[in-house]
Amino acid sequence: MARKIEKAGIPTVTVNLIWEFQRALGMPRVAAVEHPFGRPYGEVADRATQTAVLRAALDVFASAKQPGHVAHLDFIWHQEPRQTRWHPQEPAPIIRFMKEQGRI
Amino acid sequence: MSGHRVDAFRFTGRLIKKIILEAIESTTPPTSIPWAVPAKPLVESRVALLTTAGISMRGDPPFDMETERNNPTWGDPSWRKIRFDATHNDIVANHLHIDTTYIENDINVALPLLPLRDLITMGVVGSSAPNHYSIMGFQGVDSRTLENVSAPEIAQAMQNDEVDLAILAPV
Repeated sequence: MARKIEKAGIPTVTVNLIWEFQRALGMPRVAAVEHPFGRPYGEVADRATQTAVLRAALDVFASAKQPGHVAHLDFIWHQEPRQTRWHPQEPAPIIRFMKEQGRI
Repeated sequence: MSGHRVDAFRFTGRLIKKIILEAIESTTPPTSIPWAVPAKPLVESRVALLTTAGISMRGDPPFDMETERNNPTWGDPSWRKIRFDATHNDIVANHLHIDTTYIENDINVALPLLPLRDLITMGVVGSSAPNHYSIMGFQGVDSRTLENVSAPEIAQAMQNDEVDLAILAPV
């Protein structure tokens, strides 16, 4: 998606939780952030963090000098992983499917 | 930034980490990366946002979860416009791989419309595009429709709105 938009002449920054996808996908600019699935910009009602993440992502347009740049943002999530809930209410169909097939 | 290196898998759990790393390692990386240079300073630029959270405006067709439930290797490849003035009251989120209740309580956790408004008021950013965008991130075994149909359509819509910069955020 980022590559297609960039090819159309519009510069992109991808705010990415799983920034390691970069080596498979070749995104033009990545702003890596250590937040859980579903809340890349921050916690519900935490406008200060949401705004800071967006601003940090926008700053990558100036700091990235070459294609494929990954900027590591220094935001710290407010909960430990074991306290952080992000899973869907029902198991994702693909997870259920892979378990039924014995693949995981 | 201060030298912090992001741990991409801090919150995923071991199973999801294993699945993602296998997907990464089995993908042939592209040989080149496209690059467009920003045409204007940030303070003069019009910004559009995109989320993969499966958000749609109430009244628009929601992303199709039922077909994915019946065919777990398929994901809805279509896209939706989200208005700049949308709030959580105006949208629904359909995505079977995350807890969407956070987004339904505050759209800005995934599509930061109010933060963008704040940055415009603060004089950091020039303006907002009238429309922002949502896709549904899970595409199963075949992402060709998303890549070859939806992505060019979204790029064209951004061009029509004279967008200067786009911020994308997978959820």
